[in-house]
Amino acid sequence: MTDCNDDNRNDAIRAKDPAGTLDPELERRILAALKLPVPELSMPELPAIEADKVTVLPTKKRIGTPVWLGLAATVVVAAMLGVRLFDASVTYPSLADEIIAHLDHEPHALRPTDKPVSDRRLGRVVDAELAQFDRSQNLITYANTCTINGKAVPHLVIQGEKGPVTIILMPDEKIDGPQSLAGRSINGVILPVGDGSIAIIGEIGERLERIERNVVSSVKWTST
Amino acid sequence: MNSANAATDRRQRFDQLVGTFHQDMYRYAAWLSRDRTVAEDVVQESLLRAWKSLDALRDDGAAKYWLLTIVRRENARYFERRRLETVDVDNLTPAQEVLLSASPDDRTDDMRQAIFRLDDDYREPLVLQVLMGYSTGEIAEMMGLKQGAVLTRLHRARHKLKEEIQAEVPEDLGGTQQKAERQDEVSTDLDGTERKEQIQGDVSTDLGGTKRNDD
Repeated sequence: MTDCNDDNRNDAIRAKDPAGTLDPELERRILAALKLPVPELSMPELPAIEADKVTVLPTKKRIGTPVWLGLAATVVVAAMLGVRLFDASVTYPSLADEIIAHLDHEPHALRPTDKPVSDRRLGRVVDAELAQFDRSQNLITYANTCTINGKAVPHLVIQGEKGPVTIILMPDEKIDGPQSLAGRSINGVILPVGDGSIAIIGEIGERLERIERNVVSSVKWTST
Repeated sequence: MNSANAATDRRQRFDQLVGTFHQDMYRYAAWLSRDRTVAEDVVQESLLRAWKSLDALRDDGAAKYWLLTIVRRENARYFERRRLETVDVDNLTPAQEVLLSASPDDRTDDMRQAIFRLDDDYREPLVLQVLMGYSTGEIAEMMGLKQGAVLTRLHRARHKLKEEIQAEVPEDLGGTQQKAERQDEVSTDLDGTERKEQIQGDVSTDLGGTKRNDD
């Protein structure tokens, strides 16, 4: 038996496959076979998310519009009432915890690929007034601006031996010494570099020493 | 609106997304792992991860892609932890047998076993295209491949399934002549690989339909 979605899919096949290359019967059988019976949803025990940890998306670029002014006014009123509705400064026990949590926010960044980001993209993310990054020593496959500890910082991904390696440049996060990052399937480090720090996180088994040397020698803060 | 309302809204948003995409998450996990128990574990872990990072999902229109990406990563983590051996279809664990024995009829059962036997590299893009409705471009992005590689894998997956299904026709029904005809068809397919891939590429690109809209 087929449902409406199946019919639509078959219509799509017929419309785009006049030569009959795709066998509609085969496609129907594949689809039917793929539709495994699904057991009843068993929701795991979800940890409580504190209200002041509910992340508010970055709004600073749009703050000038009337809508956001209205929202800002709401926030002010709420603050006056003592209700912490929109606390953009998400608090984490430590910088390391925030960085590990951030990895889950952009899972699509961690894909093995040999396609480098463009110079233009990298230049947009790594602002020349913030830092200089010599890309010649690493294959950079992802670049985005992210918020760590309330500050917009470059989030880069390079390709290591075991898989993608996350690099987060934090020119304003001064730390006293190296901090280890450990997760269920990751390992990494936050290294002090000048008046800032750099987080480097790879898969378990990734040899980070060489990457650390390359990255640290590739970065030069310009903002401090 | 107070903090309790904010938490309630967050939970409602999560429940709605899970209600909509739980089936897709489970089936994707099941076809990736080929094991019902593993699939259930992977989905549970994925739900936890999705819950914790829900605020990073800016557009609910991108939720399916986002959730399936989490499932894919959790599945990889699971196998990294367990380092499970390659599945041998002739020596199944009870959880794998359960996955295959749930077929409603023989024809579906045959096809399900054939898909089960496909290499991971062929099975995953097939699931993403036929079941999840993604275009080859989207599959390429999700799997970290070039679009041409996805097209090739899809073509080979279908070719293998066709071969397996054709081989299942009982001898007493078809006889020698029909078997020879089937072999001729297979040969023709092999000869026409390049032409068919081009045509299939056009179809595959359009089959996706779903336009990803993240960020």
